[in-house]
Amino acid sequence: MILIGESIHIISKQVSDAVKERNPKVIQELAKTQADSGADYIDLNLGPAKRDPEEVTSWLVNTIQGVTDLPISVDTLNPVAMEAGLKTCKKRPLLNSASGRTDSKELMLPLAKKYNTDVVISVLTDKGCPPDIDSRIESIMDTVTHANELGIPNEDIWVDPIILPVSADQKQVREALEFIGMLADLLPGVKSTVGLSNVSNGTPEELRGILNRTYMVMLGRNGLYSAIADVLDAELVRLNRGELPKIVDLIYKTMDGESINLASLSKQEQDYVKTTKVLMAETLYSHAWLES
Amino acid sequence: MEYKAPLETYSGKVAEVVIGKGEKAIKIGGESVLPFHFFEGKIENRPRLALEVLDSEPKGWTEWELKPYKDVLSDPIAWAKKCLDLGADLVCLRLVSTDPAGANAPADKAAAVVKQVVSAVKSPVIVYGSGDEAKDVQVLTKVAEVCAGENLLLGPVAKENYEPISKAALDHGHCIIAQSPLDINLEKELNVKLLKSFPRERIVIDPLSSALGYGMEYSFTIMERTKHIGVMFGDNTMQMPIIADLGSECGRTKQAKENEKQGLLWESITAISLLLAGANILVLRQPESLKLMKEVIEGKI
Repeated sequence: MILIGESIHIISKQVSDAVKERNPKVIQELAKTQADSGADYIDLNLGPAKRDPEEVTSWLVNTIQGVTDLPISVDTLNPVAMEAGLKTCKKRPLLNSASGRTDSKELMLPLAKKYNTDVVISVLTDKGCPPDIDSRIESIMDTVTHANELGIPNEDIWVDPIILPVSADQKQVREALEFIGMLADLLPGVKSTVGLSNVSNGTPEELRGILNRTYMVMLGRNGLYSAIADVLDAELVRLNRGELPKIVDLIYKTMDGESINLASLSKQEQDYVKTTKVLMAETLYSHAWLES
Repeated sequence: MEYKAPLETYSGKVAEVVIGKGEKAIKIGGESVLPFHFFEGKIENRPRLALEVLDSEPKGWTEWELKPYKDVLSDPIAWAKKCLDLGADLVCLRLVSTDPAGANAPADKAAAVVKQVVSAVKSPVIVYGSGDEAKDVQVLTKVAEVCAGENLLLGPVAKENYEPISKAALDHGHCIIAQSPLDINLEKELNVKLLKSFPRERIVIDPLSSALGYGMEYSFTIMERTKHIGVMFGDNTMQMPIIADLGSECGRTKQAKENEKQGLLWESITAISLLLAGANILVLRQPESLKLMKEVIEGKI
């Protein structure tokens, strides 16, 4: 699975301070560390980028390109910032993201064609996040058709089902997994991506990693092409490289409903089984899900 | 062709909790079917009805709420007896006087009142502290100690203070009310934590009961899901009986204060809804709604 490093995020205080001061050091360190840790892309999350969008975005893209050759995922809702970013990228970037919202269809999607980029298209619509799997499908079919009409082929489209926190809605977490499994039939040739860490939003900090890692393996089994993720989580990167086959096997078995004797497993293995069950919505989530 | 009703079989069972001791003791929970699904299995213990007693004179009650208790309002012991005369299965004593935002009565004084009430009535006693997390630790641990062996139902026990209160309840032989703020995930978390040191058969869940028009549907959904998860899906961290502490919540509403009939209906409709959602104990304020609930439970209406 392609990993897009998530650490350069405007919500992070060190990043927003660095941007204000135009201090390249912090940004470059984050880019470099993620590249060294195994990222395939560097996500550059600018949020709404209200102030000096063009100047800030090109400065950031150039700053990152000063220390790594990795391609950049330009992550903003602001089309002006987006265009400035795409223009500045040396390698073929990822436009992150467009959606089924009217403004996005009108202002974002055409940029993917204009700059010949890969493009993330999420299932969001003018009504917000679709509440169930059928409305997710309806939304993505509609937006992808629109993108095709603009001349963007399926192969350049990375579909994002929008991951919600497991602490808020277990059913939606399970449905996003099913959705990823159906994509190849629905829209042959499309790729896919998720904001992986969203699944653990709202969960106590020290417990977030195992949710992210387990869900990555589950989504990967269903064909997920890429994830915006915490590549500084070494175990996540190892799992993704296939270096922990026993854990992967255990997660698959739990997904298949095989009965597993917890007592015969190590604590780490037990935790993966329990986490898989929570993400399959088989057991009710609580912050204490590893304790029972 | 003969018609065969589609019946569910369930994998889980709600723990049977005994409150009170000796002849006074009553059992709640124990069912392995959904609420009122008599056609699918036996429901050993019917839901139980409590009336509330305050340890100090009530403030903000309407004239018609005060009327049934008018001679006993300043005497919790007489008030508790009155509740049983009015048909309650048990008494819910609220230690409102201990609230730091109010009279801030000391723990030992409150505990002495509990002791007197417990000795005077022929039913088990539920004791609710003021809900102040810190003060409840002092008050409820003192009550547990002073009433050792009486097997009271003590609460609320919350995420923030469950350790000292549950320990005191365990040491002195009482049951506890695990309270969470209308959130099934937090409810489960508290249960998981409690179960590490406290027996399932002595825990009652209070997911908070909101009044009709003020979020009752949240309480309904959480109680219903708790039963589904415990009884249908067999999650043993969710297999405890539920208490619906609703009388005081209904009494606070604008609608209940407007007129007597509306006030009675407000409490009764909230009560019957939460009964259907799966409450095993209802805490009511009005004797008339108690009568109605009794008839509902006995299948008369």
